[in-house]
Amino acid sequence: MSTERIRNFCIIAHIDHGKSTLADRLMQKTNTISSREFRNQMLDDMDLERERGITIKASAVALKLIKDGKEYNLNLIDTPGHVDFNYEVSRSLGACEGALLLVDASQGVEAQTVANAYLAMEHNLSIIPVISKIDLPQSRPYDVLTEMEKTLGINPEEALMVSAKTGEGIDKIFDAVIERIPPPKGNPSAPLKALIFDSVYDEFRGVIVYLRIFDGAIKAGDEIYMMKTHQSFKVEEVGVLKPKMLLKNNLLTGEVGYCIANIKSIHDVKIGDTVTNNKDRAAEALPGYRAPMPMVYCGIYPTNNADFHLLREALERLSLNDSSFTFEPETSQALGFGFRCGFLGLLHMEIVQERLERESNINIVQTAPNVTYEVLKTNKEVIKVDNPEKVPPDNEIEEFREPVVRVNFVLPTEYVGTIMQFAEARRGRYKSTEYLSEKRAILTYELPLAEIIFDFFDKMKSATRGYGTMDYDFIGYELADLVKLDILVAGKLVDALSTIVHRKDADIKGRKLVKKLKLEISRHLFEVVLQAAIGSRIIARESIRPIAKNVTAKCYGGDITRKRKLLEKQKEGKKRMKSIGNVEIPQRAFLSVLSVDE
Amino acid sequence: MKRLKDTVPNALYIHIPFCAQKCRYCDFNSFVSESTFIDKYLTALEKEIAGLKGQYVFNTVYIGGGTPSILNELQLEKLLRSVLNNTMLGSETYEYTVEANPGTMTIDKAQILKGYGVNRISVGVQSFQDRQLKLLGRIHSGDDARKTFDLLRSTGFKNINTDLIFGCSNQSLSDWEKDLKTVIELNPEHVSTYSLTYEEGTPLTRDLDNNVICTLDEDTELEMYKTTIRSLTLHAYHHYEISNFSRDGYQCAHNLIYWQNKDYVGVGAGAYSFVNGVRSANEKNVCRYIEDLHNNKNIKPFHECLGQDRHAAETIIMALRLRQGISNADFCERFGYTIEDQFSEQIDKFRRDGFVTFDNKILKITQEGLYIADTIMSEFV
Ligand SMILES: Nc1nc2c(ncn2[C@@H]2O[C@H](COP(=O)(O)OP(=O)(O)OP(=O)(O)O)[C@@H](O)[C@H]2O)c(=O)[nH]1
Ligand code: SF4
Ligand SMILES: [Mg+2]
Repeated sequence: MSTERIRNFCIIAHIDHGKSTLADRLMQKTNTISSREFRNQMLDDMDLERERGITIKASAVALKLIKDGKEYNLNLIDTPGHVDFNYEVSRSLGACEGALLLVDASQGVEAQTVANAYLAMEHNLSIIPVISKIDLPQSRPYDVLTEMEKTLGINPEEALMVSAKTGEGIDKIFDAVIERIPPPKGNPSAPLKALIFDSVYDEFRGVIVYLRIFDGAIKAGDEIYMMKTHQSFKVEEVGVLKPKMLLKNNLLTGEVGYCIANIKSIHDVKIGDTVTNNKDRAAEALPGYRAPMPMVYCGIYPTNNADFHLLREALERLSLNDSSFTFEPETSQALGFGFRCGFLGLLHMEIVQERLERESNINIVQTAPNVTYEVLKTNKEVIKVDNPEKVPPDNEIEEFREPVVRVNFVLPTEYVGTIMQFAEARRGRYKSTEYLSEKRAILTYELPLAEIIFDFFDKMKSATRGYGTMDYDFIGYELADLVKLDILVAGKLVDALSTIVHRKDADIKGRKLVKKLKLEISRHLFEVVLQAAIGSRIIARESIRPIAKNVTAKCYGGDITRKRKLLEKQKEGKKRMKSIGNVEIPQRAFLSVLSVDE
Repeated sequence: MKRLKDTVPNALYIHIPFCAQKCRYCDFNSFVSESTFIDKYLTALEKEIAGLKGQYVFNTVYIGGGTPSILNELQLEKLLRSVLNNTMLGSETYEYTVEANPGTMTIDKAQILKGYGVNRISVGVQSFQDRQLKLLGRIHSGDDARKTFDLLRSTGFKNINTDLIFGCSNQSLSDWEKDLKTVIELNPEHVSTYSLTYEEGTPLTRDLDNNVICTLDEDTELEMYKTTIRSLTLHAYHHYEISNFSRDGYQCAHNLIYWQNKDYVGVGAGAYSFVNGVRSANEKNVCRYIEDLHNNKNIKPFHECLGQDRHAAETIIMALRLRQGISNADFCERFGYTIEDQFSEQIDKFRRDGFVTFDNKILKITQEGLYIADTIMSEFV
């Protein structure tokens, strides 16, 4: 098949605007999956995705479409909408020539609509605007069209109106994909040049890489060469995703598929690397991907110190499938050996933690998250501080700097005032207001990242009754008056509970934090004293009184089962606790800093 | 794994899920019902009891509830007769207990009980103070409780237990001391003292959640518990289980079966059984229980086969409730290995802190340990 009959595109949108459901319809209309196999949001195949009802991983699927007697090969990538999984989107864009930009007809343009649309434009993709969910009674497709025109410069004439629920307008999508998205360029007779846009570890087959072929072709038996890791392998199998793996003789120029090449070491594969033919190598590699910039960091430690190596393996395996988090070994006096991990946001952090536990069966503790700071030392050296432990002594600090982001809020105009107050209270600098329509506006602020990354999103959501959305971009580091706030448990400094805060907030935060910890740490057989300190100065103290009486009065016949189950549950909970000195600290306590304001 | 010896139950529990009124703190399987419905239940129960015929020899029988004494004379006879006709009572020293609540007991009923060989009555006194009784939602007064006790004595019952509750909202230490004084004067053979627990879904817990009442502070509650132990022991009661006290030779043989985690058979709605390492429970819903028995359907929706480790852990946990503890010899006999084989770490730790002893290879909780027994037990699961 010549590249003329291939179309590579992805579906992008704000969270929940219906991408995965549209992908379902496209798969069904092309008979890619039988009705027996089908289930809703079919491409969300991870347990976590199904439980949470959101897409976390981008997934590729190959569709065959017969149109006007011609067979087309459509490669679709469904992407996640949540801002924390943005790197999935940008990687997918690199494998495509076009994008369906979905906007929910009842919600309208939202923060990630704008962000993802710009991302697609930067990649020079042909954009097909699609207004989705037009079956909803509260849909207002024409207002939404105006919003798209105003913010994104989209020609309303080009937009398609669809309902993935009823199937209305789906055929038009196929027409548009074929007519408006260019076939991949590429040179079939040039040496192989393929982009690794994703990968996954399979216990039996090793690393499976997902490829987009830009030039040449690949088939079983070929000897391939990874241009960044300088490793060569013999291809065992290639094929396409339907969405299950389906073996094929070869993958040709312009196509998207998978490749298995007995790659046992995770280190031999880099997302964004270029695969070429070992004997007939491409002259230069594809540009690859810009490494994503972690926004939050936290320490991840095995609850049981002996699991350190297992944790390392689990992190490595997971990083194959999620290249947007980083990890470096570190040690904590309180927690022992573990890793400092970087994430794109809090949800990302939560998901990685859950995946680690599920996919590897290790209990982990996670420390309080923080953003990365910059310190200019008196010796003029600039260091990055991604862990409060790395803050140098006071007398070595010339400047303490914090990361600042530009935040775009897309929200109904009636909430503009509320959000402005919100932003101002968090040291925000007002930038601009832009009206999408009479009813909706984009409000732009510059804010310290630390002020928005933890609990701000939820608060903003509830303040705008769910209608507000936000998106942010890192702009740089700025001078700030910061200090390290330490926590002592039973007189021992617990480094994993340290945080960096603004000096003027330190006392209040310290007091709130020990209060909160008091609630999180259960009573022991002895008194547990909690203190907050800046340097050697104690700024707050609370104590947890010892258990005086804890005994079940009645226990007869049937109570025995109940009692044992209760005790078993407690024991299970204890497994997730970290013992520091004699004090059992539950995982939740380490995350207390996230919600001290409540 | 070594196969455990087969064990045979010699304790029978019979559940009567009816009460005159639901007490405000109660989450037992019990309801207020019409007498005709009680008849239906007894018919079903009779059928279940008949199924036991010829299978076991019981050394203890315990009819609990609910309020067994709510049955009228006819119903009571019907029940006792079916026990008599279908079960074999063991030795001469068998223990046959029926629970009775003040306000539901009559001389006639007492005599019927006596006539059918019941030799132990457990009276739900809870308190002798009307304010406390009202708060708990009991139907009787403190005076009623005394009268019931006297009535039982005059009928000739020589083994009587009284249940008492302490730790109610607003109860003072001296309130409780008065109750203790009264019970000591009454001079029952056995006393159970329970600290009030707020069970999920009860009206009392709702009051607590709505801040209508508040829990008693822990220190006062502990003081009440310590006072209980001190004064009852002073008056010749042995403190033999966390909440139980008895005169010499009057420990409750039936309840000891539970605390030793030994086998027993339970009949009636929601009753548990434990036979040969398998714990099971009857259908809890009374209507369904009656219906299922009537239709010869399976009445046991719950089965749990304890593995050896669990069985052993459970046995230790229950044994820690008993002041006599558990000896290695006993344990070994039942499980085929020593206590230390499975629990040496826990024993070492708690011995160091003075919460358990292991002298002469007998694992026992200490008095200090008693107060925090749950915390200690949680390490043994
Ligand atoms: N009424 C209606 N509901 C739809 C339609 N399309 C999707 N939905 C619903 O919208 C919700 C979100 O749909 P998804 O397809 O998971 O959205 P998504 O964009 O993939 O979400 P993320 O991947 O998490 O960003 C689900 O409850 C869908 O059932 C539609 O056309 N009409
Ligand atoms: S008498 Fe006993 S079983 Fe009946 S409601 Fe009161 S506490 Fe519950
Ligand atoms: Mg999705």
